[in-house]
Amino acid sequence: DKTVKLWKVSERDKRPEGYNLKDEDGRLRDPSMITVLRVPVLRPMDLMVEATPRRVFANAHTYHINSISVNSDYETYMSADDLRINLWNFEITNQSFNIVDIKPANMEELTEVITAAEFHPHHCNTFVYSSSKGTIRLCDMRTAALCDRHAKFFEEPEDPSNRSFFSEIISSISDVKFSHSGRYIMTRDYLTVKVWDLNMENRPIETYQVHDYLRSKLCSLYENDCIFDKFECVWNGSDSVIMTGSYNNFFRMFDRNTKRDVTLEASRENSKPRAILKPRKVCVGGKRRKDEISVDSLDFSKKILHTAWHPSENIIAVAATNNLYIFQDKVN
Amino acid sequence: MLGRGLKRKLSDYEESMAGLSSAFDSSRGLSYPLKRQLVLNMCLTKLQTYKMLVEPNLHRSVLIANTVRQIQEEMRQESSQQPVTICPGIAPASPSYPGMEAPGISLQLPSGVGQQESHGCELRSGEDPIENSLLIVSDDDMSSAISSILKDLDFVEDISPPTCLVPTGDDQPKFPENTGLKLEDDRQDLKGAECVFGSFEISNSTSYLKDLAIDDIFEDIDTSMYDSDFCCPPLMPPRSPSLATEEPLKTFPSCNSSSANNIQICRTDLSELDHIMEILVGS
Repeated sequence: DKTVKLWKVSERDKRPEGYNLKDEDGRLRDPSMITVLRVPVLRPMDLMVEATPRRVFANAHTYHINSISVNSDYETYMSADDLRINLWNFEITNQSFNIVDIKPANMEELTEVITAAEFHPHHCNTFVYSSSKGTIRLCDMRTAALCDRHAKFFEEPEDPSNRSFFSEIISSISDVKFSHSGRYIMTRDYLTVKVWDLNMENRPIETYQVHDYLRSKLCSLYENDCIFDKFECVWNGSDSVIMTGSYNNFFRMFDRNTKRDVTLEASRENSKPRAILKPRKVCVGGKRRKDEISVDSLDFSKKILHTAWHPSENIIAVAATNNLYIFQDKVN
Repeated sequence: MLGRGLKRKLSDYEESMAGLSSAFDSSRGLSYPLKRQLVLNMCLTKLQTYKMLVEPNLHRSVLIANTVRQIQEEMRQESSQQPVTICPGIAPASPSYPGMEAPGISLQLPSGVGQQESHGCELRSGEDPIENSLLIVSDDDMSSAISSILKDLDFVEDISPPTCLVPTGDDQPKFPENTGLKLEDDRQDLKGAECVFGSFEISNSTSYLKDLAIDDIFEDIDTSMYDSDFCCPPLMPPRSPSLATEEPLKTFPSCNSSSANNIQICRTDLSELDHIMEILVGS
């Protein structure tokens, strides 16, 4: 987790048949027995997907890498660890430029680490990185070689009514994503997803509660380390819907326009191929209705940390422990 | 469970913590200072556990350290408003973090505290079972605990780039100048300095050994004193330079096992290194 590798993923669904010098098993044929020359033909075969490492970018990170982001120029990318961000060229594996370094001279003064970073989708000089204190910094690489001074600083003032011992821990941002338009950024902290307008630094324009019923369970979640789970968040292709994961194999979608949200479950028992997912609901107290799940019966070992949305289609991928689920819009 | 006040096994501790977390969350029966103390204990326990991990998680450690600092600050402000003395029942722990282990796990005897008025030490009869499982830790211990953890994290993490060490089989020790210098600049911690020093020593001596036959080095040294099996007082003075090597050597394996990059340690015989050290120091 301190080395970056570039892989080529390829599909193969044809294989050549009819070599002259070897037979179908690969054994060499006796040249004196060959009387006819033929051109090998490609025949279909079962689809094979292979991933081969093409580049290894090593020895540039001292701490665990938390993000990789390809730049819009498709020539460079950045890798971020807890204290530093490095800029690489794809073709150069033994050198990188350090563009952010927040390591203090004295480690005892360390109070904040980098948690995620991403390049702007269109402007190859702009990137953002988030911190464990719930702040986001936008940097422009044209201003200086070392982007220690941010161009913009996004932070929401703390809500005093929600203050607890765990306020700082749950404010740590686990993921930051630019919208496809490049106008907004979305951040995920432990309990919420927030959408920020790049032009407004003092607060997000939208805040969505992912699982606010966990707010009263923070001590238990701290005790079993669940409070440190890092959930990802994604935009759909048109930036109208955002999605993120939760516990019990639930994932949540928020429609930014209609303000409606839905909770769905990714599990074998509830999904047959082509079946339509049923919305789930967590009951927060009082009478539990049928089909609802109470907070205490949630399975915190089943967490959906990684999700992805196809850039243009309504197809999503959801990773639930050992299984990968792919869902799409119902086809009418 | 009441009044046991003895060192408990970790599993018992964990069970009681789980019960306390639920009590915290349901907000029943726990006063604010107790809740705060519970959170503090959990933080310190976690920091202790993380310290023992092969790959300590910097992100988590920083978050927990910040929580501890915040609680510490709060307690300081409260105690500055109310002049009180801290419970005498606290075991005065040594400044370094390993000294935390004893108070970290042991319980506070209610009888030893008496009626002292201190926020951290309030004991009401109805809450004895809960208080029994909480510990009171002094400010200095917490600060030094956090400092030592963060320093150790720096040390453990930054030593992992393989440029610092020579893998077995290499003849030339490769030390990019700036990395070596940087490492040395960062090392405020004596233990860290000894470790880096130790690593340089071992690497240098390994290549030295490869270049020369061992017998050539030692033929003019009278080794009759060191052939004895027991450590006699006459051996002490000559042994003191080699103690310096033994220190980094002891810490060195532990540092290296902390690195997940599988840095290969050049494990040379301790006695051979003693000899080498004597030559280097003597020359």
